[in-house]
This record gives sequence, structure tokens and C-alpha cells, in this order.
Amino acid sequence: MKPILTFLTLFLSFFASSQHKVSGRVTDAAQKPVSGVNVFIDGTYDGATTAADGSFEFTTDVSGQQVLSVSALMYDPQQIAFSPEQNTPLVIVLKPLANSIDEIVVSAGMMQTGDKARVSVLKPLDIVTTAGSAGNIIAALQTLPGTNNVGEDGRLFVRGGEADETQTYIDGIRVGQPYGATVGNIPTRGRFSPFLFSGMAFSTGGYSAEYGQALSSVLLLNTIDEPAQDQTDISLMTVGLGLGQTRKWQKSSVSYNLSYIDLSPYQAAIAQNIKWNRAFQSLAGETVYRYKLQNGLFKFYAAFDASRFDLNQESINTGQTRVDLTNRNFYLNSSYSGSFGNAWTVLGGVAYGIGQNRIGFSGGRVSDDENTFHVKGKLQKKFSGSFRLSFGADWFYTDFSETYRATGINYPTDFGQSIAASYAEAEFSLSKKWGGRAGLRLDHNTLLDETVVSPRLSMAYKLNKKAQFSAAYGAFRQAPGTVYLKFEPYDFTSERASHYLVNYQYSHDRQTLRLEAYQKMYANLLRYDTPVPAPESQFRQDGSGYARGLDVFWRDGKSVRNVEYWVSYSFIDTQRRYRNFPEQATPGFVADHTLSVVTKYWINSLRSQVGLTHTFASGRPYTNPNRDGFMNSRTPAFNNLSLSWAYLLDAQKILYFSASNVLNNANVFGYEYADSPDANGRFARRDIIPTADRFFFVGFFWTISSDKKANQLRNL
Amino acid sequence: MKAITLVLILMSWVAGAQSKFETGMQKALALWGENKTGEASALFERIAAAEPDQWLPNYYLAMVNATASFQTRDKEAVSAYLTRAQQAVDVEMAKDDRNPELYVVQALVYTAWIVSDPMVHAMVYSPKAMEAYQKAEMLAPDNPRVVFGKAEFEMGTARYFGKDVKPMCEQVNRAIALFKAEKPQSPLYPAWGLERALMVQQECNK
Repeated sequence: MKPILTFLTLFLSFFASSQHKVSGRVTDAAQKPVSGVNVFIDGTYDGATTAADGSFEFTTDVSGQQVLSVSALMYDPQQIAFSPEQNTPLVIVLKPLANSIDEIVVSAGMMQTGDKARVSVLKPLDIVTTAGSAGNIIAALQTLPGTNNVGEDGRLFVRGGEADETQTYIDGIRVGQPYGATVGNIPTRGRFSPFLFSGMAFSTGGYSAEYGQALSSVLLLNTIDEPAQDQTDISLMTVGLGLGQTRKWQKSSVSYNLSYIDLSPYQAAIAQNIKWNRAFQSLAGETVYRYKLQNGLFKFYAAFDASRFDLNQESINTGQTRVDLTNRNFYLNSSYSGSFGNAWTVLGGVAYGIGQNRIGFSGGRVSDDENTFHVKGKLQKKFSGSFRLSFGADWFYTDFSETYRATGINYPTDFGQSIAASYAEAEFSLSKKWGGRAGLRLDHNTLLDETVVSPRLSMAYKLNKKAQFSAAYGAFRQAPGTVYLKFEPYDFTSERASHYLVNYQYSHDRQTLRLEAYQKMYANLLRYDTPVPAPESQFRQDGSGYARGLDVFWRDGKSVRNVEYWVSYSFIDTQRRYRNFPEQATPGFVADHTLSVVTKYWINSLRSQVGLTHTFASGRPYTNPNRDGFMNSRTPAFNNLSLSWAYLLDAQKILYFSASNVLNNANVFGYEYADSPDANGRFARRDIIPTADRFFFVGFFWTISSDKKANQLRNL
Repeated sequence: MKAITLVLILMSWVAGAQSKFETGMQKALALWGENKTGEASALFERIAAAEPDQWLPNYYLAMVNATASFQTRDKEAVSAYLTRAQQAVDVEMAKDDRNPELYVVQALVYTAWIVSDPMVHAMVYSPKAMEAYQKAEMLAPDNPRVVFGKAEFEMGTARYFGKDVKPMCEQVNRAIALFKAEKPQSPLYPAWGLERALMVQQECNK
């Protein structure tokens, strides 16, 4: 009986009641009227859209407790309990969407690419289409400010830091060996193919407490979450062959690519500055498998790489030395990211990497094996639109062994290093203008037997929708590298850096300006008293140093039709007393001024993209023994103009041509001096120059998207 | 007796609701026809919220916003329209991912992204649009909007690369025959497309 009565009452109220007028006004937090807002009674068709002055008015038949829905693009939807018969005008204040462009994200230190990035400095395709980068992620990043162009090395050197002060992460998990193996003065490349990654974040300082064991920089690469379609990619290049495939099912997908590179035909055709006995040859592959779960995504990534070369290394002291290198590398990483419960998100993953080098040189052989592990877990809870807490733990393990063999010598070294770390970090916005992040990281290293705490803090002030100021501070710790740790039982401790940065960023309609000034202080840097680290070296950790400078970045895709360009300029003033430096000085890899100009011009009638990249770096320091002092001279400035031309034969076939150093600048990276003076009392020298004056590349890239209906039907 | 009254009341109520849905939808479609896109979109949104079992309100909500995006050059407005349209598509896709009309409107949303800024979006959304049309084709190979939409999309690419558009024109002709033979399942059911197909056919015959 009772339910029927209730029903009847409801029912009667539905029809029998008279019409009620609902009216009111909608504004934003600043009291400004919002037009075009849909205001309606939930479950009915009764409602209206607000006029230019934010007012609305409509009539309804319903009465009693009702829910008023307020919905507008770019604002948080609202549900308000009310009774239509009240007849009082409603005043509704809208809040901007929590995830809309108004959210404050600290931009100090961080440069991002990809669709998810709020302010993108590079687009995924830039890595392939930037002249001179030749598909190398690292080379494309070297057109960004804060990096030093070290042509004879190829790795990332950030703001006066050594290359190993940068850590690389894939889907949040660390990569133990991100670079291909090489020997002195032969540049290396990043291992990863740009096609499997959808976005990246490159931080040149002040990064989150989530990342440790990096004194200068972190590079975060994210694999594609969901590929667009089934496809096969074939590439034919003057330097080798490549094949990639993607298969997609309803919940999962798999992509792989394989490449075979052999430089011998190329090196036979183009004059080289060094004598190659066996040109660089490599077989490499990568695969990503993704599985979509109800509330999360599982990813599995694996990469292998086997390469070798054999060359004669020049030296003014010992003449030609034959060096051969064989490298095998394997890396796998599996991660899960998802959400659960009430605004919790979780990220967890494990990674394992093994790198093996076999290096032979006149009379001796070095074989080293490095195994790296990383286990990570991270939890995040969003308490409100303005407060988020995350915390997590890491475990890194490195197992290294090396044997040096020469006639009458057999010298093995090894170590195992275990680092356990945890961190907690809060992200908050204090108002619509102020926001920030504060975190703390704790690292415990069992090999060094030390526990260190690293605080991080950053703040941002939003001037308006387009511009913000931000500042960051952070303390960073990193254990000394493999080359030193293998000489345990020295009583090592981790090296230290602290970063202070201020940043201004403006971004609007395909134009981005970034200005960043920084100061970085180093302490506990490792020093030794021999030409190279050796068992007989005396190590101490009283080294120190500083780096300060200004980074400028301007990207514009708006001013000139069909032209996209960016300009990066970095000024750095840095000195260090570390390694075997007799005094504090600027290291040899640092150029005070670095300028990169990258342009891309799309010619519609030719269906071509023409790219030009110019890199300039002022002279780098070196020690000339014919003069007094340490690091007493500067090399000539470095200039390189690269050109690329991509021609679309049709939607799926691309012909690509690129050439580096088209102006034929004679670049010198540095000099090697004789150990002893000649008859005239002068120290003779040899130029350290690029392995070839120019690099030419021709490639044909063909994508075949699968159109097999039988397959696709099964996939639906 | 009481029970019978209740049943009667319930029946009339259900019948009332049914026609209320139809009149509401017709009113919204009429607003759209008068180019009052904001009001049409708002009414479709209200109906969608009140009628969770109906897919047509969200379908039209997506259509209204996707087509509205073609009429503005303001980048922020385009993004707002298409985000709204995508939300509506997502809601219905989660309920039923085997509805060919939803794939057509999904492809239209992707196409609108491409049109708004080809340099930035073509690379990402072209394969997605093509995939949506392929799925629709798998589900309904003789749906005229599927046949025509896919042909028109492919035609754009072919023209750009100076390829022969004849095979697509043949598909357009086939779509026109299918449009003429189409009997909508209900007066509110999607039936658009013939006019545009005839326009494209004229271009083919030039």
C-alpha cells in the first residue's frame, strides 16, 4: 500500500501541479556572466541556455526536491539541489574545469613533447624531420636549450654536467644503458626508435622527487598508449633496412620494429677521416605490447641491440691503435598504470637491463657485463582539484663485473650496488594564480653505506592563461659511476648538486617562449691523481663546482605560413674541480654560447618538407702545453648547417634526404697533444675532428596500413 | 481494481513519455535546422540526460557540435565543440560499440580536427578517421552514410596526391542509390547525407 501511495503522490505532483518559473543568473568566479550555459532539471527536458548577460529563465511542471544540472564547456559541471516552487532567482557560480588549461603546472626545468603536453616544445615527428637528427631522439633534444653539443660523444650533456648525470626513463621505469656502446671520439646514438614513443619530457633541472640518482637531468619517454591502426612500416636506407609492424585488437596491441644497419657500403663511397677495419654494424629491435584493463593499462617493452665495429684509433703518442668493440644489450620493462577507488592512481613496474661489451685493443682485451634492475611503485591520491599527494618507492640494483686481460695480466673487478629509495610529494594550488609542488626523497645505498635526504620545491605564479613565472629548488644525489665504483673498497660517497631556477613561459596559438635562468652548485665531486681512474689512483671526494646560465627558447608556427621554426640559445658559465683537474676550470665539453636554429618549411605544391638546422657553439676549452696553465686555450667555434628534404610520394610513401655540414665547416672538437716536446721544444698536436666531414642519408619509408577485412572483423 | 488503475496510469505515463521524447527530439532537430546550434545542443544534452536508454540524443549532440566546429576559425571554440562531441560519442560507444552510425559521427569528429589544422592534426587523426570508417563498413557495408563518408574522406587524400578519384566516385554513386532506397527505422533515425553526396557526385562528373 505504502509504495503505491508514494507513487501516486509523486505522480500527482508530476501532473497536477501548476507550472513553476525557474530563473537566475550564471557567472564565473570573477562575477563575469557566462553565456551558452545549459541549465536544466535533471531527468526532464525543462531547461534553458543562458543569454549574453548570463541570465536564464524557463518553466517546468515538476516540483519538490529536484536536481538542477548546470553544464558548460570549459567549466566544471554542477548539480544543485533545489525546489522549483521556491520561485527565487538562482545565482550560480561556475568553477573552471579542474583539468582545463587553467591548472597550474610548474614549468621550471621541464620541456615536453607530445599530445598530452600542455606546452609542447617538440612534436613527436620533429625527431624524424629535424634536419641533422636522422631519427636520433638525442640529436633532436640537442636542439633544445640547456644542452651542450658534444659532437665527438653524442650523449646529452646538460648545463655543465657530465653525460652520466642524466637518467633516462621509459614509462616511468629507469633504463640502465640508454646509449649504444662506443669508444673514444666516436659519437654514439640513443637506442630508442622515435616511432614507438608518443611523448617525452626532458627536464634540465629542478625535477620531481620521483626521480633520483641524477645530478643534472632526467629524460622521460612514454611509449604510445594506443596505436591508431594496424600497419606495416618498411624503410630502405643508404645505411640499412628497417621493418616495423603494429597489430591492434580490441583490448590489446603489439608493435615491433627491427633494424639492420651496416655502414660499410656508405663508408666505401664517402671519404672517412679514420680508418675503419669493420664499419659499424648493428641489428636492433624493439617491441611494445599493451593490454587495456578495466581501469588501467599494462605495458611491456623490450629492446635488444647487438653491434660491432673495428677501427684504427689515431694517437699522436702511440700512432695507430686497433680497437674493436662488440656490444650486446637487452632491456625489458613492464609497467602497469591505472586508477582505483576514490581518486587513487597507481603506477608500478619492473625493468631489467643487461649490457655486455667486449673491447679489444693492441695486446689487451676488456670484457664487462652490467646488469641493472629497477623496481618501482607509486601511488597518487587526488584529494581535491587543488591538492594531490603522491608517494612511492624505488629499488635499483646494479651488478657489474669486468675483466682486463693482457699478456701476463688478468685483472678482474666487480661490484654490486643496491639503492633503495622512497619519496613523497604534494602538488597543490593555493589560489587560481599560485601553485606548487613540495617533495622529499630518501635514498639508501648499501654499497656506499649511506642514507641521504633530498628535498625538492617548486612554485608557479600564473600571470594569465598564456604566461606564468615559476621557480624551483632541488637537492640531488648520485652515486659515482661504474668507472669508479669498480675500485671499491674505496670509501665513496654520493656526489651532490643543488639547483636553483627561475623560469618565464609564454605560450599561445603555436608560439612558445621560454626563458630560464639557473644556478647549480656541485659538491662531493670525485677526484683522482692519475691520468685515468686506475687501481693505483688515490681517490678523494672534495671536488666542487658551479654552473650558472640562461636558456632561451622560442618556437613559432604562426608568423610565416607553412613555416615552423625554433631558436634555442644557451649561455653557460661553469667551472669544476673534479676528476684529475689540478684546479677549478671549465671542462672541455662546455661551450659558453650555444645557438640552434631549426626551420621546417612545408611546400604544398611539391608535397615536400624542407628542413634546415644550424648549430653554433663557441670554442671549447683545452690545455695547450706550449703555454702556461690549465685549460688555457679555446678551440675555434663550431658551425654545422644540416639540410633535409622529405618528399611525400603519396600518403604512405616518403622519400627522405638529408646532409649534414653542407657548408663544409672544418670543425675541431679539441686537440690531442704529444706527451713530450719535439726537437724545437714544442708539443706537437693532433686535431680531434668528426669521423667524416659530412653525413649523407637517403631513405625510403613506406607505410602499409592493413585493410584486411577478415582480420578487422575479428578485431571488432 | 486498484491494480488495474495503476496499470492504466502507468501505461498512459509510458505512452506520454514516448511521445514526449519524440516531440523533444523534433524540437531540437528543428532548432538545429534554424541554425540555433547552442540551443539545439543544450536540448539534446537535456534529453540525453533524461533518457539514458536512447542513443539518438547523444548521437545528435555529437553531430551538432562536430558540424558547428566547421563554421568557426577560433581554435579554442573548435576544441570546445569537438571535446563536447567526443564526450557524447564516448558515452554511447561505451553502451554499444557495434552501431555503425556512431562510427560515422566519430569519423566526422576526427575529420573536423583535421580540417581545423591539417598541419598539426592530419598525422594523428587521418588513420583514426579511416579506422572508424573501416569499422563502420564492417558492421554495415550498405549503410549509405558509411559508404559515402568513407568515399569522401578517401577522395580528399587521393586529390592531394594527384591520384585518380574514379573508384571513390563509383562508391559515391553507389551511396546515392543506397540513400534513395533507404527507409529510416524511425522518423528520428539518421537519414542525412543525400544532398552532400549529390554535390560530390557533381564534382565527380565535371
